[in-house]
Amino acid sequence: MNFSQKVSVVADVPADALVRFEGVKKSYDGINFVVKDLNLNVRRGEFLTMLGPSGSGKTTTLMMLGGFERPTLGHITLDGKPVERLPPEKRNIGFVFQNYALFPHMTVAENVAFPLRYRGIKGAAAQQKVQEALGRVSLDALGNRRPAQLSGGQQQRVALARALVFEPSLVLMDEPLGALDKQLRERMQIEIKQLQTSLGITMVYVTHDQSEALTMSDRIAVFHDGRIQQLADPETLYNEPANRFVASFIGENNTVPCTRLGAEGDVAVIRMGDGSTFRAAGTDAVGADGKVTMSVRPENIGLAAAGDRPHVNRFAGKVREVFFLGDHMRLTVEALGGQLVTARIPASRSRSFASGDDVVLECCVSSCRLLEA
Amino acid sequence: MWLPSYATPSERLARTLVVALAVAVLLFLIAPLFIIVPLSFSRDPFFTLPVREYSLRWYEDFFGNARWMNSIVNSAIAAVLTTVLATTLGTLAALGISRPDFPARRLVMALLISPMIVPVVIVAVGSYLFFGQFGLTNTRLGLVLAHTALATPFVVITVTATLSTYDTNLTRAALSSGAPPASAFFRVTLPNIMPGVVSGAIFAFATSFDEVVVALFMTAAEQRTLPVQMFSGIRDQINPTIMAAATLLLALSIVLFAVLTLLTRQRRA
Amino acid sequence: MSVVDIDRIDVFMAVRRAERPARRAAFSLALPLIAFLVLAFLAPILYLLVTAVANPETRAVLPRTLAALESWHGVSPPDEPVYAALAADLKAAKDGSTAALLGKRLNYEISGMRSRVLSAARMVDQFEVGPYKEKFVALHKDWASPDVWAVIKRNGASLTPYYLLTALDLRQAPDGTLERAAGDQAIFLNVLGRTLFVAGLVTLFTLLLGYPVAYVLTIAPKAIAGIMMLLVLLPLWTSLLVRTTAWVVLLQSNGVINDLLMALHLTSEKMQLIFTRIGTVTAMTHIQLPFTILPIYSVMRSIPTTQLRAARSLGAGPSSAFWRVYAPQTLPGVVAGCLMTFILSLGYYITPALVGGPRDQMVSNFISVYINRDLNWGLAAGLGGVLLVVTLAIYLLFLRLVGADKIKLG
Repeated sequence: MNFSQKVSVVADVPADALVRFEGVKKSYDGINFVVKDLNLNVRRGEFLTMLGPSGSGKTTTLMMLGGFERPTLGHITLDGKPVERLPPEKRNIGFVFQNYALFPHMTVAENVAFPLRYRGIKGAAAQQKVQEALGRVSLDALGNRRPAQLSGGQQQRVALARALVFEPSLVLMDEPLGALDKQLRERMQIEIKQLQTSLGITMVYVTHDQSEALTMSDRIAVFHDGRIQQLADPETLYNEPANRFVASFIGENNTVPCTRLGAEGDVAVIRMGDGSTFRAAGTDAVGADGKVTMSVRPENIGLAAAGDRPHVNRFAGKVREVFFLGDHMRLTVEALGGQLVTARIPASRSRSFASGDDVVLECCVSSCRLLEA
Repeated sequence: MWLPSYATPSERLARTLVVALAVAVLLFLIAPLFIIVPLSFSRDPFFTLPVREYSLRWYEDFFGNARWMNSIVNSAIAAVLTTVLATTLGTLAALGISRPDFPARRLVMALLISPMIVPVVIVAVGSYLFFGQFGLTNTRLGLVLAHTALATPFVVITVTATLSTYDTNLTRAALSSGAPPASAFFRVTLPNIMPGVVSGAIFAFATSFDEVVVALFMTAAEQRTLPVQMFSGIRDQINPTIMAAATLLLALSIVLFAVLTLLTRQRRA
Repeated sequence: MSVVDIDRIDVFMAVRRAERPARRAAFSLALPLIAFLVLAFLAPILYLLVTAVANPETRAVLPRTLAALESWHGVSPPDEPVYAALAADLKAAKDGSTAALLGKRLNYEISGMRSRVLSAARMVDQFEVGPYKEKFVALHKDWASPDVWAVIKRNGASLTPYYLLTALDLRQAPDGTLERAAGDQAIFLNVLGRTLFVAGLVTLFTLLLGYPVAYVLTIAPKAIAGIMMLLVLLPLWTSLLVRTTAWVVLLQSNGVINDLLMALHLTSEKMQLIFTRIGTVTAMTHIQLPFTILPIYSVMRSIPTTQLRAARSLGAGPSSAFWRVYAPQTLPGVVAGCLMTFILSLGYYITPALVGGPRDQMVSNFISVYINRDLNWGLAAGLGGVLLVVTLAIYLLFLRLVGADKIKLG
């Protein structure tokens, strides 16, 4: 599968691209590629997230853009100019590192003033810019502290101020919220997103946290095995995963093997393992011998309602596991020819389940998506 | 303390014995060092304890003797020059070897450490024969060159150790802030690895200041260092003035050690 | 070659190209030190090794004689032309006062040759005309010995195995075969064996004494462990000469240790401690202890305390838990510490020189003696070569088992 190419060629208009990766590959040993044939345009003013498990190539991609790694093959252009040979200090890119990389021997204000020194901004002008930048992240009062005297969240803000103080057009962030606790992380996500929107800067953000990516991004590039698996806005990514990896990486998903029989308009007809016939969205996935996979999210499976209903796939099974989770229940049901299917059902006092019960479940045709096997 | 609450009686006994042995070994380690201190303040020229009468006569001997004074000056000059040279070369090499792109790291590291490993007599004799070809034996330069070779492994080891805990993102942050590489090094990297560099420098200083064997081969009377002066004294006829010299060297070691300990404390804090 | 192969090579080259600037930058930082060590450290050692096989004396002093010996078969004494050439060479040697060098060199292989060469050089002016053969033989019958001439001819080579062989108690017989050195000259294997033995003994003692210390360091409360650590590190910091001086004083016949032994009634008369093997090994053990303790401690510290608890909960008794679960995990530290101490002990010079007796001198001390007293640089270099090979062999073992980047200081 190579969705990245298809998507970048079709959906991107090169004219508004600030950054372009063209056929970029990166290998450290000449045998294994960490990044395999990357083609990606980052649009001006967008918040683009590179999402993926560790080792998927996202951080290497960010480091190549920052100038700390050199692509083995391919080209990177920034604002139309090739930058493969441009050293990091000449790129004018703001960079927020994992664990912040604040200079421990300098005060907060000195840290923030550091990039200004190399742009010829001194004295009162520099001081004003530092105050402005610290004000933007609500740290005006802490300029004289050392980084070690700040909390994790405050350090994070200093790093942000330092990356923004010289008004770069592009800011890169490498898992900047990884070290914070959950609550603080969620607050910072909103703050960062607001800053990015109000300043109108382009941001490339690396994370392995899908909810973070879904919250903040204009577009998300899902990385796996050195390739972009899908590049899309959060909603499309969630509702229309392009392949099995994306389907299972973003949110929870049931993937059930099946055989494609044919199509009825824009709906595919498939045969499940127990011989029943289902219909599903997504007609372009074709495997050898018609073998395909159907994916459906647990929250889209419910108890079968009374009466005959169109556009619904209905199936019977045996309950294997029940978990009560407060507002909902998770049922693991054996159905469709020995497959374990998970369903998320609103909790109700009127009906309880036990292992071994027979149930009938259903899911909308539009929520069933056909993927390659 | 010392023992888990579930310890059996036999375990308690064994543990007590082990602790007692460890204490005895620590006493064995430390006591000989301090035996020379009271002896150096004794009025008698014998090496027996307890000291019957204290005096400073051996220190007067030491400080009143031009030979001893000369040797201190010689040692200090050689040690300072060695420190500067070894710290510069060693720090640079450690910076290079700590980079992920360094080629043939294991081989180069094995070479850089080898002056610690090769018997010092071999270095001394080799230097004596080889530097003799260029008229460098019995010169301060020859001594400093040989001492620098012996001292660099300590600098490489301490600076490499510091760099292994150094967050390279600091340098990257400096670069992406727009600092040229040299500026990034002096303003960000160096201040943060300073404890390691200073530790290395102290090791280098001590290595040169305490070194006997190479100095024995590479120096004539004019460049004679303090350890050589002591060594020849002990060989000839051990006398209490040597105790005074040894006590002063011990004091210097303790001062250097204290500085180093404070530095490592700071680094860990 | 298939397309895939070419692709791979292209990629490989591309990786090399992409990495080259970074590799070059990293290497160029280390280059000054590497260059310095090559010049100020490796070159002297190489020069020493060359000195161990260099053989310039005979070639320099007897060029004509060696040329005349070319056609000599070695069975009977050589013919008159050889003696004539010898007379000419010795005349020149007398003028250049180089005969003593030759005499010294030949004397290494045949004792008595020094005086024979010197007296021949003294007399050669009176040998106005030939035939020279009888005159030389009249001077000393050795001049007619094929063995002597065989040795002279052999030393016409610019390289000699003599010093290295001597350092291993071997010698080349006049006919070129190897044989063991005669009893009173066969001392060097003994010295090498003694060096290895003392180093092994010191290593063993530091392990036996150091292991409990390292262990107690890991179980002691933090504050106490900190003080104990200072007690281990301070000796390491103290000048080796100061530590040796302390032992010289302690071990004196009228010294503190003898006083202590007498006071405790462990001995009724003063014991000889200084200039003995016991004294040397004790002092060396004292000096090497921190080198063995520190690597063991650093490995022990990394073993989680849950290991012993797990072993106990699984049914192992205290000693079984220690020996079967804990001790095997400390092995890397034991290997690192012991190899380090063994390597360093091999090169000891100061301590045996000041604390040991004549029978406790190590290879290093003999090297020093041959340089300073006997002025036999070749033999000093030969012994140095043997010591270096032994040391490097163990260093290689250390690099394999432990690695150079594992060496830490304090």
